[in-house]
Amino acid sequence: MTQESWMEGTLAAPLLGAVLALIAGRSAASAIGILTALVGSAASIGLAFAVSRGGSFRYAVGGWGAPLGIDLRVDALAAVMLAMTGVVGLCISVYAVGYFRGKEAEAASSRTNTGPAWLFWPMWLMLWGGMNALYLSGDLFNIYVALEVVGISGIGLIALAGGSAIAAALRYLLLGLAGSLLYIVGVELLYAGYATLDLEQLRQRIDAQPSTWLAAALMTAGLLAKSALFPLHFWLPPAHGHALAPVSAALSALVVKTGFYLLVRLWLDVFAALGTEHVTTFLGALGAAAVLWGGVQALQQERLKMMVAYSTVAQIGYLFMLFPLASMSGSLTGALLLAVSHAMSKAALFMCAGSVLAVYGHDRIQSLQGFGALMPMTAAAFALSSISLIGLPPSGGFAGKWMLLSAALAGGAWWWAAIIVLGGLLTAAYLLRVLAFAFLEPVVASSTRAPRAMELTSLILAGMAIAMNFALLPLHDLLHAGGAR
Amino acid sequence: MSGDTLVLDLVLAGLLVFLAWRLLTLSDLFKATVLFIVFGVLLSLAWVRLNAPDVALAEAAIGAGVTGALVLDALRRLDARGPADEAQPLRLNLPRLVGALLVMGLGAFLLWSVLSLPPGWRGLSSETAAAMPRSGVVNPVTASLLNFRGYDTLLEIAVLMLAVLGVWTLNAEPMPPAEPAGPILDVLVKALLPPMVVVAGYLLWAGGHAPGGAFQGAAVLAAGGILLHLARPFNVANRGVVRLVIGFGFAVFLLVGLTLATLGGRFLELPERHAGILILMIETAAMISIALTFVVLFVGNARDNAGRDTS
Amino acid sequence: MTPPIIYASAGAAVLCLGLFGFLAARHVLRRILALNVMGSGVFMMLVALAARTDPPDPIPHALVLTGIVVAVCVTALALALLTRMCRDEGSALLPEDRDIE
Repeated sequence: MTQESWMEGTLAAPLLGAVLALIAGRSAASAIGILTALVGSAASIGLAFAVSRGGSFRYAVGGWGAPLGIDLRVDALAAVMLAMTGVVGLCISVYAVGYFRGKEAEAASSRTNTGPAWLFWPMWLMLWGGMNALYLSGDLFNIYVALEVVGISGIGLIALAGGSAIAAALRYLLLGLAGSLLYIVGVELLYAGYATLDLEQLRQRIDAQPSTWLAAALMTAGLLAKSALFPLHFWLPPAHGHALAPVSAALSALVVKTGFYLLVRLWLDVFAALGTEHVTTFLGALGAAAVLWGGVQALQQERLKMMVAYSTVAQIGYLFMLFPLASMSGSLTGALLLAVSHAMSKAALFMCAGSVLAVYGHDRIQSLQGFGALMPMTAAAFALSSISLIGLPPSGGFAGKWMLLSAALAGGAWWWAAIIVLGGLLTAAYLLRVLAFAFLEPVVASSTRAPRAMELTSLILAGMAIAMNFALLPLHDLLHAGGAR
Repeated sequence: MSGDTLVLDLVLAGLLVFLAWRLLTLSDLFKATVLFIVFGVLLSLAWVRLNAPDVALAEAAIGAGVTGALVLDALRRLDARGPADEAQPLRLNLPRLVGALLVMGLGAFLLWSVLSLPPGWRGLSSETAAAMPRSGVVNPVTASLLNFRGYDTLLEIAVLMLAVLGVWTLNAEPMPPAEPAGPILDVLVKALLPPMVVVAGYLLWAGGHAPGGAFQGAAVLAAGGILLHLARPFNVANRGVVRLVIGFGFAVFLLVGLTLATLGGRFLELPERHAGILILMIETAAMISIALTFVVLFVGNARDNAGRDTS
Repeated sequence: MTPPIIYASAGAAVLCLGLFGFLAARHVLRRILALNVMGSGVFMMLVALAARTDPPDPIPHALVLTGIVVAVCVTALALALLTRMCRDEGSALLPEDRDIE
């Protein structure tokens, strides 16, 4: 298969699966979902290998080419994000089958039905397709439409939980819509100046006009709101904390990375010629604040899912420390490795929380004594994910933080290094608190068990987060061979 | 540029700004919504003045029409659950004052940016003109929507589908009309429905060479459906056939794109010889799906009397 | 003063009014209206700036058409969420706005 066909498969598989699942309805949706997840993740992994061998390439959708048509561009950065989405997405799909089967059994015993729960499948596959479209896109307006696909499917997925998730979804929608509009104002100012929407052509034409700076500022503000960077993070914990477990996993592990990815594209590439030192320092400072604020908030949470959600606020902050360190060698590899291992460990943590909820019927941390003995697989997954999130060796989180730390120290920026270490200590504090409850306290018995598929998937994901420690060199090579631009 | 049209433009632009301010500060949300619809109608006049007839049609049908109907309907549902008005919705306090100053700063910066844009900008008009003979249609906006940037439109139809899924997820109950439809509405429906279908078909066909297209046609078709719903309430349940029609437009568009890719072209690369007929095919499928989408967004989800959803 | 400049300026003003309305309003329906007003301002600027050549650049018209359809979808979803929240919780304000009087 050529590079192009791997890419077409990555793009089209989730979209096709989504519409088929919708048409097929309740009875066949999950089967179509799993099949699509297999094809989609295989395509994205195939694409990553194709890029590592053949380098980056462009693809003119519709055959017109920029600036008239829409060009996709597939480079190492995009390939890594797509492969991450594919692997974690497949695990989330497997987990979701077990999760909804459990819900169905529950509903059958109380003689109700699960209502619209099967709509998870078309919406989740469309979310996946939207993320793939976003990572592949090289066109500013096309990115906006992809962002809307991601946003609206995410909101529908949150709403599946009902109850307090409704208000959280509404808040997310309003903020996301305002963010999108700010983003388009930026896009139109750039188009009004340079007559193109293509990222590569813009990079070549960019100059320091007042409208260009305003466009950059507005697009950044819109994307920061969507990626929930401190102080625009307030919508994230309720939305991620109240959604169903597979939805929380998808949002917290994958969707938050989309805004970060676009900002990397914009500030480290398109706008790089503007002389962006103050901006990158500013983004890094917000990231540092997020690491500390999110960590402190996570420490104070009573509910497991809310704690994991606040941990996402903190972990997004780490990624943004890439911006001030970008000129140091190895920082991009470090940040990407951190992003990928966070996706794995965070999805695993939300899956653990979902399994705990299925067994205990609640997720109050104080009353989860001894769940380590009751659910050994889930507790092991929790512990392994914690190792990676804290950044203890060997794990993907360790390798990523190590790269960022050495980049900071090599540049003499000891304050960024201090934040990275301090954030790790905070992470350790809130995660070890839960693990202490899991293993040190006597067991409170429970008669129900979590479906095996759920527990196993979380363990596999957590194991992958550890194994990412050894992905450092291949990732480094890929980013240099594939021209991460 | 004659003086008269300049005055017209100034008055229209000023009126739009005034209406925007008025509708945001009126305490009565119903009046605010009515002003919002008037705003949309005037905005479509502005589009005409700016030589954008396709946008004008879409604004009148979708921006003012569908959105207005949706907001009025939501307001009716909210009103049934207590007063929805606020005494002084935007009364100034310290946070609002800070917000107002920030937004005014943004406005000044926007104005400065617009005025300092370099002259001699040509956009993509010459590129578009050069590509038009190969696009399969004569209307450049349709060429852009279905051919040059057809991929955007594919994802846009996905957004429409997702909105329906969201509404189904929320189980929004259908709201029967306030009072039983009188004979006048019944007659109106019988008289209006056939021409509406014809107009929708015309708009679809005209999109190839004149202002119009699938979205505008779908809005007219949907208006017919909503009118029918008001006269004789019906439910659009989450049922197999409904789901098939909702997904039809997206599926056809995606499969056309994929087929072309497997036949040796690129994804969504319409061959020059067949571009016209393929665009008409995609647009017809899309129009049917979008029209039903708008109707479902308005009618909401069906629940039977026992409160179970009927999927 | 040419029509593009007139309408682009008016668009900027409408955009800012909408943004302020979104930030300042508490009733969610008003916030939704405000975001729609803001979107109209955004689209006005886009089409007005495209009218700086004659005939106008058609690409922004297609972009605005896409934007209008996306906006109506988001609005419909927002209204469905609002109706459901109001049904469940008896308030059309977001939880953090409810206790301030």
